[in-house]
Amino acid sequence: MDRTEALLIADLCEGDETALAPLIERYKRMVYRLAVQITKNRADADDVMQETFIKVYRSIHTFRKDATFETWLYRIAVNEALNFVKRRDRRRECTLETAAESEYDSTVRHNVQIANDPHAQAEKSELRQHVTAAVNSLPVKHRTVVILHEFEGLTHAEIASILNCSEGTVRSRLHYARKKLRTLLKPYMDARTV
Amino acid sequence: MRSKCQKIEPLISDYIDGTLSERQTADVTSHIRSCGACKREVADLKKTKHLLKNFYIEPEASDTYYARFATELQQRIEESAPTAPHQRLAAAATRLGWQLRTQAYRYADYFRLSRFIFIRQHTLPYYVLALTMLMLIAAPFLLTHFPFDNGNEQVHFASTAVDRDATLAVEQENAASHSISTRRNLNSERKTEIPSVDSGSDIWKFTDDRVVDGNVFVALHTEDSDTVPSVALDIDSELLTYAEFAAQDATLERLTGRDVLTDRRYALLLLRGINTRQHAHQEYQRKRIEFRGFSHKLLDVPLEMMSVEAGYDLIEL
Repeated sequence: MDRTEALLIADLCEGDETALAPLIERYKRMVYRLAVQITKNRADADDVMQETFIKVYRSIHTFRKDATFETWLYRIAVNEALNFVKRRDRRRECTLETAAESEYDSTVRHNVQIANDPHAQAEKSELRQHVTAAVNSLPVKHRTVVILHEFEGLTHAEIASILNCSEGTVRSRLHYARKKLRTLLKPYMDARTV
Repeated sequence: MRSKCQKIEPLISDYIDGTLSERQTADVTSHIRSCGACKREVADLKKTKHLLKNFYIEPEASDTYYARFATELQQRIEESAPTAPHQRLAAAATRLGWQLRTQAYRYADYFRLSRFIFIRQHTLPYYVLALTMLMLIAAPFLLTHFPFDNGNEQVHFASTAVDRDATLAVEQENAASHSISTRRNLNSERKTEIPSVDSGSDIWKFTDDRVVDGNVFVALHTEDSDTVPSVALDIDSELLTYAEFAAQDATLERLTGRDVLTDRRYALLLLRGINTRQHAHQEYQRKRIEFRGFSHKLLDVPLEMMSVEAGYDLIEL
């Protein structure tokens, strides 16, 4: 039986745990994508995903219909991921841990190399790798705005709502991030690829 | 040119997204036509956007990963679920609390004042000014119609001042030997002595004109007795009954001393064809029950229904 999202949310509010599974099925990819992109680490992203959906389960009563469920979920996932990164960075400062963050970059590089034909797609695969690495090199606040705007397709107002900041701040961060990316990707802006 | 570039530069990102207003878009467009540096900036940022859109690798996981994740999440939820009765009770109470809170928020949101009244913040002082002026204009009218009480001196015969449970007491039968006026115009001057009513045992005098709705009502009191009259007066085959009423918030009490016609108690009744105390009381009760608002209408008895003793100047109303 296919229940609509509103029904699933209503059922979950009334304590029906079975309503959580269809919601996870709908949004798991979105949350995973965000978690990996913000934390830059798949293991950390797994923790963020679990925390996100547990928070949804426990706090569904606080969900008010003045926003869509998707925006509400974005807010939880992004904040969970940002908090995770903040805690991780603090921990890393104490333990001088450095290995975790590079894991996603190396995975990307590995996937790109496997997926592409080394002869015909060599240039593009290298470009993909550089573009992804450039995005990952941005500070987490700017990276988050780029991810939400460029890849998730959210408007400035929606991003401002999710990050609990002004639209002006979102525009400013996006502009800064684009300028930084332009500098990083300048060598790859030739006529053949763009 | 440099200052113009500084103004345009923050807008370039929005220009590429197409989220600028028409005027801003026209400004940027006209500027980049004449400025090579800004034109290159726009072109580079467009290329950057293109690269991000087409060459960025979004992370994806396998179905196996998602299946494992769902299982682990389910286990974690079950583990964290309350098992002991008191834990379940607490969880249920918490859930109920959240539901009530959510409902309260929804109702508060639905009935919020701003849904019905739209006042822009910058116009609020104008609204306050207009309201103040309106109050200043209306104040004289309000004060005229609703005079403030000045001690016990003034009588209010407002419609609510006469209570349904008023009591009628006719203390003196056949008390009146004179016809009297109970109303006269405010502007009239009293030219003669105050009329009196000889009831046989007591002499009641009319004193203290009280202002009600532009008319003067006359009260009775005795000269040598503390007993306050509630008298029935024969006036041309009619009976003018002086009755006491408990007004709103007043207690039912007999009058004492000269404290007649205070602001909470009295009205004048004109009951037609009543000759005895018992009859007057019955008639009053009957009318009070049968005619709604009877007590109120008593104040509007036409003056011509009463004959007036010489000694009081008669003013046609």
